Order: sequence, then C-alpha cells, then structure tokens
Amino acid sequence: MSSELINVSDLNQYAYCPRRYWYLHFYDTQGRNYERIEGKTTHENKSTRGDWVNELYLESEQLGLKGKIDVLDIDDAQPVPVERKRAESGEYYRSDELQLAGYCLLLEEHIDEPVREGAIYLYETDQRMHVPITEDHRETVRQQVNAIQAMSIDSIPSLTDNPKKCEACSTREYCMPEETVMLEPEQAEGTGFEEVISE
Amino acid sequence: MKAAEGMFDESVVFVTKQGTQVRTDGGRIVVWDVDGDDGELASYPTEKLDTINVFGGVNFSTPFVAEANEHGIVLNYFTQNGQYRGSFVPERNTIAEVRRAQYALSEQDELEIAKAMIAGKIRNARTLLSRKGVHGTDVLKDLGVRAENASSKDDLRGTEGEAAERYFDRLDETLTDGWTFEKRTKRPPEDHINSLLSLTYVMVKNEVLSGLRQYNLDPFLGVLHADRHGRPSLALDLQEEFRPLFCDSLVTRLVNRGVITHDDFTADNHLADDPFKTYLSKFDEYMQEEFVHPHFDYSVSRRKAIRQQVILLRKAITDEMDSYHALTFSR
Ligand code: SF4
Repeated sequence: MSSELINVSDLNQYAYCPRRYWYLHFYDTQGRNYERIEGKTTHENKSTRGDWVNELYLESEQLGLKGKIDVLDIDDAQPVPVERKRAESGEYYRSDELQLAGYCLLLEEHIDEPVREGAIYLYETDQRMHVPITEDHRETVRQQVNAIQAMSIDSIPSLTDNPKKCEACSTREYCMPEETVMLEPEQAEGTGFEEVISE
Repeated sequence: MKAAEGMFDESVVFVTKQGTQVRTDGGRIVVWDVDGDDGELASYPTEKLDTINVFGGVNFSTPFVAEANEHGIVLNYFTQNGQYRGSFVPERNTIAEVRRAQYALSEQDELEIAKAMIAGKIRNARTLLSRKGVHGTDVLKDLGVRAENASSKDDLRGTEGEAAERYFDRLDETLTDGWTFEKRTKRPPEDHINSLLSLTYVMVKNEVLSGLRQYNLDPFLGVLHADRHGRPSLALDLQEEFRPLFCDSLVTRLVNRGVITHDDFTADNHLADDPFKTYLSKFDEYMQEEFVHPHFDYSVSRRKAIRQQVILLRKAITDEMDSYHALTFSR
C-alpha cells in the first residue's frame, strides 16, 4: 500500500513494542514528538574529530528506509556507523541492534560495498561496543520495514508479549495494558498478559 | 499492580488571589502579586500542568499565553465566586484520527456508551445512599437494569430522569439537621444546597473537560446530551457517573461536617469570598484524595480516576476496546 520511507529510528520503536509504535505514529496525544526529543539528545554532543563524519543522512527506495547516521567512523579501512545510546542499565537491546543494522544497510547501498559491522556507544559507561551485522539482522529489518509500511490506524497491534517493557514505556499511561485486560480479559489472549490475568 | 505514573495529580492549578498575574519564568509558571508587594506567590513546572483555573481578577502575561498554547495548557475562567465564564483552548488539540472515530460513531454505538454511563450513575447513586445508611433503594436497582436495556436514547433519558428524582428524594435523609434538598433546582440556585451542588458540578465538569481535551476528544459532541451550540455535551455525558460519588458526596461531606454553614452564603445564594476559598481548597483536596480503585487493584486519586475514564472512553470510541466501562462502585 504505502511505500513511504521508514525512519531507521522507527525500527527501534517498533521492535520495542508494535503497539507503542502505533500510538506514537498515529496518536501522539501528548504532543511530544519523540523524534524531536531523540534528535535533541543525539545532537547535543557533536564531535569534530577529523576522521569522523557526523550526521550523514541517507535514504533508499530499495530498502524503504531513511535515516541519519549519527557518527561514521572512517578511521579504518571500512566505515563503521556508530549509534550513541543513553541506557541507564548500561546495556543495549536487540532493538538497538536492529536500528544499527538499518544504518549499515543504508550505508552499504550508499558506498556499494558490504558493511558487516557497526558500533554502539554507551554514554553511561563510555564504552564502545562492536556489533557484527548478521543475516538474521538483515532479514528482520526487511520484515519490519514491510510490517511498518502495512500498518494502519484501524489495525491495532495487540499488547506486548513482555509486560516488563510496559514499566518503562512512555505510552503506558494511555495504553493502560493491565487495566485493559482486567476489564476485557479476551484482550490478553496471545500476549504476555495471559499470565497476568491467570495469576 | 501499580498505577502508571501520571501527571494528573498536580496537573491542575487554581488561582484565586485577586490582583495577581500568571507569568512564565525560565520553564516555570509563576503566579505574581502585581497589586500587592508579595512578589512570587507560587510557581509550577510548565511541563506538568495541563489546566489552570482562574477566578476573578487574575490576568495573564502575553508570553504566558503563548507558552500555554505551546504546551497545551487549558485556561478556564471563572468569576470570583465560581461561575464559569469561558476557556482558552490551545490549538494543538486536534488529533484527526480520534475525532474521525468520534464523528463516525453510529447511533447504536452512542447508545451503548450512554447506557454504560447512566447505568453507572444509577449504580453509584445507590452506593452513595447505602454508604450513608439509606435503605430500600430497590427501585433504583430496577431502574439501573432498565437503563442497561434501554432501546433508545429517549428511553434512556426517561429512565435517567426517573432515577434522579427517586435518588434526590432519598438523599435528603443523608443531610444533617438544618439542611434539605427541597427540590433539586438548576438556575438560579434557590437554596444553599443547590448552590453548592451546582458549583460542584461545574468544577467536576471542568475536570472532565480538561481530560477530554487532553486526550483529543471533541467535548462538544455528546453521546446522550443533545448537542447545543456552546454546550460541552460529551463532558456532561461522562460526568454522569461521577455525580453521586464525586460531587454529591463532597457536598454532603462539607455540609455534614460543618465546613460550610448557612452563614457562608450571600443573599443571592452564592458562597461569600472566604468560604469560597475554603471550598476550592477542599475541592482540590478531594480531587487528590485516593481510594482503592474498584476495578484495578491499586489506589488512585479521584482526579486521576476521571482521566482514566476519559482514556477508557476514547478506547471505546476508537475501537481499542469492545465497550465503555464506567467507573462503578458496588459498595
Ligand atoms: S504499555 Fe506495554 S503494551 Fe502498551 S505500548 Fe507500552 S510496551 Fe506496548
């Protein structure tokens, strides 16, 4: 249906919880545009080191993706996209890896050479972690791009399969996952909330 | 379970001091004493607020109004003794998809939602009476069942009217000596108790209205109350289920505990200045008071419970949920 280009950062949102992405995309009622907020935090630290390129914007019809690579390390023979994250836990998640994979795919199309790794830099620990991009990452990115493009306002994604994620979710206030299943238990079917109601 | 952290509880501010100005100052909203020389009277983080209610001679600086617009803060204007005058509503509150779903509701969808609200109101009316030791309310029970099975909006309105009459007849018994409902009259308030009820309905209606706006529903398009120009029909509809336990019970509490006495009223049945301030602070306290939610197993403030009902209403309208679930207390 829609061939709109998907923001690479949306891959991360979607992987976290499709319903959350759906809210932010179609119903951002708090008026807080998360892209803008993310933009702010990632831009406040600009590096000017000679062998780094900051903010390389890329898009590809082929991949259905667009996005801005924060930092591109061109120190070595092969350029490495670096994604900077704030993560209080000091860890990154699978959804962060997917976002990085999205950048790698965009970059490899741009330079017409395979890009097999990226890096995640964590502010909290000042650590730079090397992330190999696997075939599995690539396939998941492609699937998610399709799924996101096929999303519509009328098809409401079910609740997450991992209720723990809700605790840190900014849309929880109006997603009301536990409240929803308490009032309409059938909404728990096939989600991580099945256990919550059987408790 | 734990309630989601919200910004509901401290999200509403009341400014009653005359001769003050509301300003912005470095990301905060400041109430400044312009006429006197007390300087800054209070300040709040802009991000947290969604509603400011001002009474009488309070004005706003121009930068503040721009800020309110940007942050989606609704301003409600009241006269010094609490008569509603109007509102400033920020531009951004128009999420097309929510409105689209709301406008697309069928007559039947509207009836289903309205039935839940009215049946909830009747249920809560019985609960209030029984909490106060008034027995023999079976007729309300029957009317509740009738509301649930109403076949049309007219039918539902008829049932609602009958239930309200029965309920107010009995509510009299819950009042301490020297107070009586006589007959529930609207405007002008013919007696003190009706004046207090009307005031409380306006205050709660504004809580509901702010919630509806925050979650992008059109407050003027109702499911039961007829849409009339300038009348927030949806807010009036949603308010129904809160009337007995969030409005009437506050009024009976204030009267029975002697917080408000007959001497607190002016000749035209309004609260005098000082009692009015007392009333507002009691009202705000009451909205922040917590209770164990009857459907979810955690404590919430009344204010937050109202916002949650707005969200549940939105979910029923946008088909995220199968039906609207009113806030009902069975005991
Ligand atoms: S609260 Fe939970 S289910 Fe709802 S959007 Fe967030 S993560 Fe998904």
